[in-house]
Amino acid sequence: MKRYINHFAFLLLFTGLAGCKDSFLELQPRGTDLESNYYKNRQEAYNGLVAIYDVLGYQASNYTTKILATSAASDDHYAGGGGSSDLPHLQAWSNYTLTPAVGPQADLWYRNYMGIMRANVLLQKLPDVPMSDNDKTRFAAEAKFLRAFFYFDLVRYFKNIPLIDKPLTGDEIYQTEQASPADVYALIEKDLAEAAAELPERLAMESEAGRASQGTAKALLGKVLLQQEKFTQAAQQLADVNGEPGQTSRYGYRLLTQYGDLFKVDNKFNSESVLELSFTNTSVGDWGCINCTEGNILNIMIGPRGYSAGASGPDYVSGWGFLPLTESLVSALQGDPRYPYTVVDMKKLEAEGKASYTPGYMDTGYFLEKYAGREANRWKGAGTFELNFPQNIYEIRLADTYLMEAEALVRGGGNTSRAAALLNAVRTRVGLPAVAATFDNIKKERRLELAGEGQRWFDIVRWGDAATNLSDRGFVAGKHEVLPIPLLELDNTRLEQNKEYGGTK
Amino acid sequence: MRNRILHAFVFLCVWAVSLHATAQTLQVKGRITSATDGSPLPGVTVSVQGRNTATLSDESGEYRLDIPGTSATLLFSQVGMVPKEVMVRAGGVYDITLEDDMTELDQLVVVGYNTQKKSVVTGAITSVKASDLETMPVTRLEQSLQGRTSGLTIASNSGQPGSSATIRVRGFTTFGNNNPLWVVDGVVVDAGGISYLNQSDIESIEVLKDASSQAIYGARAAAGVILVTTKKGASGGLKVNYNAFAGVSEPARKLSLLNAREYATLRNEAALAAGNALPFSDPSALGEGTDWQEAVFNRSAFRQNHEFSLSGGTEKSTFYSSFGYLSQEGVITSQISNYKRTNIRLNSEHKITSWLKVGQNLGYSHEKSQGLGNTNSEFGGPLSSAINLDPITPLVETDPAVINSSGRPYSANPVVRNADGNPYGISQYVTQEMTNPLAYIQTRLGNYGWSDNIVGNVYGEITPIKGLRIRSTLGSKLSYWGNESFSPIAYLNAVNVRSQNDFTRGTHRGFDWNLENTILYTKDFSDHSLTLLLGQGAYYDNRARGISVTYFGLPVDNFDDASLNYNIPTDQRNSSGYENAGHTVSSLFARVNYNYQEKYMVEALVRRDGSSRFGSNNKYGVFPSFSVGWLMSREAFLQGNDYIKMLKLRGGYGVVGNDNINDFAYLSTIGGGRNYTIGQTDMYTVGYSPNAPSNPDLKWEQTSQTNIGLEMNLLHKISLTFDWFNKVTTGILQYPRIPAYVGAIGNPAANVADMRNTGVELELGYNNRLGQVDFSVNGNVSYLKNEVTNIGAGVNFLDGAGFQASSYSITRTMTGQPYNSFYGFKTLGIFQNRAEIEAYTNSEGTLIQPNAQPGDFKWADLDGNGTIDASDRTFIGDPTPNWTFGFTVSAAWKNFDATVFGQGVAGNKIFQGLRRLDINNANYSRKALGRWTGEGSSDTYPRLSDNDPNRNFTNPSEFYLEDGSYLRFKTVQLGYTLPVSLTQKIGSQKTRLYVMAENLLTFTRYSGFDPEIGGGIMSIDRGIYPQARSFMLGLNVTF
Repeated sequence: MKRYINHFAFLLLFTGLAGCKDSFLELQPRGTDLESNYYKNRQEAYNGLVAIYDVLGYQASNYTTKILATSAASDDHYAGGGGSSDLPHLQAWSNYTLTPAVGPQADLWYRNYMGIMRANVLLQKLPDVPMSDNDKTRFAAEAKFLRAFFYFDLVRYFKNIPLIDKPLTGDEIYQTEQASPADVYALIEKDLAEAAAELPERLAMESEAGRASQGTAKALLGKVLLQQEKFTQAAQQLADVNGEPGQTSRYGYRLLTQYGDLFKVDNKFNSESVLELSFTNTSVGDWGCINCTEGNILNIMIGPRGYSAGASGPDYVSGWGFLPLTESLVSALQGDPRYPYTVVDMKKLEAEGKASYTPGYMDTGYFLEKYAGREANRWKGAGTFELNFPQNIYEIRLADTYLMEAEALVRGGGNTSRAAALLNAVRTRVGLPAVAATFDNIKKERRLELAGEGQRWFDIVRWGDAATNLSDRGFVAGKHEVLPIPLLELDNTRLEQNKEYGGTK
Repeated sequence: MRNRILHAFVFLCVWAVSLHATAQTLQVKGRITSATDGSPLPGVTVSVQGRNTATLSDESGEYRLDIPGTSATLLFSQVGMVPKEVMVRAGGVYDITLEDDMTELDQLVVVGYNTQKKSVVTGAITSVKASDLETMPVTRLEQSLQGRTSGLTIASNSGQPGSSATIRVRGFTTFGNNNPLWVVDGVVVDAGGISYLNQSDIESIEVLKDASSQAIYGARAAAGVILVTTKKGASGGLKVNYNAFAGVSEPARKLSLLNAREYATLRNEAALAAGNALPFSDPSALGEGTDWQEAVFNRSAFRQNHEFSLSGGTEKSTFYSSFGYLSQEGVITSQISNYKRTNIRLNSEHKITSWLKVGQNLGYSHEKSQGLGNTNSEFGGPLSSAINLDPITPLVETDPAVINSSGRPYSANPVVRNADGNPYGISQYVTQEMTNPLAYIQTRLGNYGWSDNIVGNVYGEITPIKGLRIRSTLGSKLSYWGNESFSPIAYLNAVNVRSQNDFTRGTHRGFDWNLENTILYTKDFSDHSLTLLLGQGAYYDNRARGISVTYFGLPVDNFDDASLNYNIPTDQRNSSGYENAGHTVSSLFARVNYNYQEKYMVEALVRRDGSSRFGSNNKYGVFPSFSVGWLMSREAFLQGNDYIKMLKLRGGYGVVGNDNINDFAYLSTIGGGRNYTIGQTDMYTVGYSPNAPSNPDLKWEQTSQTNIGLEMNLLHKISLTFDWFNKVTTGILQYPRIPAYVGAIGNPAANVADMRNTGVELELGYNNRLGQVDFSVNGNVSYLKNEVTNIGAGVNFLDGAGFQASSYSITRTMTGQPYNSFYGFKTLGIFQNRAEIEAYTNSEGTLIQPNAQPGDFKWADLDGNGTIDASDRTFIGDPTPNWTFGFTVSAAWKNFDATVFGQGVAGNKIFQGLRRLDINNANYSRKALGRWTGEGSSDTYPRLSDNDPNRNFTNPSEFYLEDGSYLRFKTVQLGYTLPVSLTQKIGSQKTRLYVMAENLLTFTRYSGFDPEIGGGIMSIDRGIYPQARSFMLGLNVTF
């Protein structure tokens, strides 16, 4: 009997051993890296850099994007969509019924801080990554450029924001306070100046298109300076980007000869593109994760609802009817050579029997031609086609920097003949006669040249014209220049609501 | 159970005593009657101790035995009676009376790794036996516990056949996963996975409610432990059992919604109030319109269940095998909502030598279910469509003028058509996720999910010396599951358009195992009894892996023709896969039980667990417990007491743990998928960045519990069990939301909060025989109070459930409040006129609601700041019931028997969120007919207005809360046992027929489909799939 007990005890010990060893409790995640042993070579640092760029093209799962939200808020578009309650966060900004609880602020806030965190992480890790100093310097410059980009959006949307320049850990998470806008701008300018100094003048487009270059950083810095009405400095930076009006600048930028070519889907990263948001149809995006797709959702969102092409009708896809153009924009564009590249006139198409559509909410019959989805671009592979349009979006293009420099020169008492040359280079390209370089003419030109490209709301707020232009939409001067701090951000934190929305900041 | 144990005991002793056998024979006979009323007792086992001889008493209670030898001890036993031993030294008549065993003191209770006599159990354990379950026709095991025992809150998650239920043992123990630990024959099975069990195979279910009984499962026991023991064979003859029932189900309730005429009237009113044009020119012409609910209901959904079992064995080997088949149609859109399960079980045990025993339990099941898509979701699915669609749109559009109209979608789009070729109606008014459910059904035909589970264990047990048992058990669960779905090209409405079909197949595999070795030593010396348990265990679970493939644009148009064999271009294929590293736990445990004369009991145990889910700082946790019991009725001063037949006091304290968070949550991981397209290649680059910050100090969540209990039996007729407990959870594992400005993806895990549950439980039973009627009443009631006592430094509250597109969460967890209480605005009635609005001012005389109109809610300005804003919200109700109760009334008269089983809850609120707020045109409940229409018309239902500037409807408020109490007659059954004279002709020992109604009646004030709403946060009704009411006919045959 004792023999058996021994045998059994041995068996017990043997089989039980698996559970006694400490290694039994030391599992390793599979296919997932730990932060503590990531960033150990150039490739992983590059992957970290890509993650920051990812936020440039961020599209929230509730469809909030920068261009969509700010366009809906502008006097060039209404939110539109299927009904008054279709994407209520956009409707709230479009009709200025924003409250801390309702509006696009949570997504706009989160996306930019997400980018900032990724930039902060990379900047923290880079010094210890074994890779060439050249790459380190360049990656750091790109991270700083992107961080500045995100802060610039945040400070314009919210004014009073936490200024975070390294990853938050432990108790810091709840102890962060809002910084003064001046401090935020100081970091933005510093980041951009450092980035401009380190970034390459030209990119190897085949493999690097979409990344920041010296010209990109200077263009953004010029924009940041213009926003602060530091006109002379702004003009300096922008002059470097623009070069001689109508000629190729030192960074290789040059206006396209045909305005219409700007919005051809396959004409990506052309010579006019300074900062371009990149999209592709190869990511098989589907409804399971809307914010995961690398396709451009703007195309489906702004297409006419229930669109159906008749004989010789244009090949728009049937979209969701967001961002119908306002009558005010369309009448401003009447007779302008850019009209056909900007406006889809559905009522006219219906009258001509070329197409039909279902009017959506706030329908004007006018839709945005530049980014309306096309059957030619309908994705037929895996994923849902709605989420896989490949068209890129300009964040900054040369006509924009021309007009910004002209504005800086005119408003800052600079070289007016250069201002006129810049303004008229934009006009000449579309066959319009030269006009005098007045602030008013520059404003008009910006509106028509950049219509539907997401600049308008920022422009009219910067010019102080928003209250006038949006008076019929409920814009309240002194309030609606900023968004409310997202409600949930006030929970358990030291943040305070903007005073415009009942807070103390 | 006891019978079987006795049988086993009898056989074990056979060879030992047989040495004394002689050639003499004793002839013994007699009559066995009930001590209570002198009635004859048929079916009593009369066995001879030490011999392999036994018989049963006949119908008149008479028995006869021939016993070899000169003396013998006869044992008279029957379930529910106190067994009696009689010494026989001569042949003759021995009439016996048996007392009802009301105390069930000798009943064996399964405790962790052993069984104990109920009399000496010191923890709070409730047992549910096979006999209790026989009258319940359940699809899933957890339903059979509902209302059966105190201390459990059980609510079905959906009326979809085969869907799981939410079980809370003594309330919410933690913020995260509150599912109890299920241990089936020693194999840990995750809560979702117990559907593989067939009810007839269950021998007993034990619910371990207090820490002193749970602590033996220390690591994962905090949310309660449910031990399931499946049946074993008994040596003796072959026993064959066949149970079957079949019947029909229907929705027990229908919502009161507006008909077309009323709908148009109210829509006009709401549009007018918002200053919009009237949408309907002549509401009265619209008539009744479409009843969408009837379109999705199936009032004769068929269900059937067959269970066949064979058991038996010899002295050496016993077996139990069974086969089961269950099929149930859902009561909502049965074509796409149904469930089938087939299972096979084989349990066996073999005594290889006198000291070695081996055995195995093995269950296999195949399940196939079709689900209708969203349930309890406001975002689509046939139920919420049926609730929200306007009654004007027809089920099927037949008017050619409409079908061919260019303004309507029918002619230009791939709309779904019925067999006659007419399109299903598409609403012009109610859009977004709400689609014609009949068309929706057509787009899901054939889609299904399946699972195969093989769960079993093998064990060896040696008994080298008397009292010592060494046992090793290897258990595993191998599961395969998957789904297949085809989505055809279809236009359901303007936003539900699929222009390319797709076919998805997913397959997954999980393999969990555990190994446990225990040494049990029992020693009785004179008045002392000691039991020692030492054990070690290793557990490996959450090891799933799977792949899913979708093909787009197949050249087919329905599920049956879809196949992955089609050669689809590779860019029209999408695939994904994953594998989990798993979760390991390693444990050591020891327990000692001591009792003196079975009068004073002490138990102490300790378990040390290590978990892969924590870093080296806190990998191991130690969980002790201690409990005592005093069986007062064995004391001299209560002996001979005529009233108190049993009285036991017990109490205990223990600590258990919980590691129920995601694997690797203590680490900061790098996530991919942060992609961006760089370069002119059109191909994106995968970006990587950290997810959430790490927390290396993450540690075990601990739950300590004090329990004091009392068990009593009076007059052998009334039994009573009372428990009081105080359960304190500290360091609750959670992913507290960190501010978005941190920029993280996801939230870090942390030990954030503390929570307390206190409660009392009472179980009462009364059994008696009046005349020829045996009857019993058993009831239980539990009261539970939950309070969050700490929510973490710097954190004021945690947001809970969201609701539709509302920016406010509707529940909130905060210190001093029950977990996830409803949070919203308080109303002070409705402004009846302008004067009331103008009288509602703050201290400075400014209007609090300057934009309100008569008919709008008067919101309480709780923070007194003179305006109505987010800070005017407060706690407005608790979604979790404080009271749960259940009762069973059984009666038997001659061959008839009847059982009524009821169950209910009280003290909770239900958030009735059925109507889509963002779809102005959504249909209304008939309650809306009582809306405010003018001064004095209503003080509870505000005016209807499409722009709702006062946020009467979009503010979460008391308006949405309703009393969630209910009492439900869960089962009503009437049975008839055929006379033995008849059934013997077919060789059957017992044949019983019964009729049964399930969910026959529900008493509640709740206005939705069903007040029973499970989920992580209970009682939020977004259109719950209601429980079915079924009527069934059943048959039970034993050979």
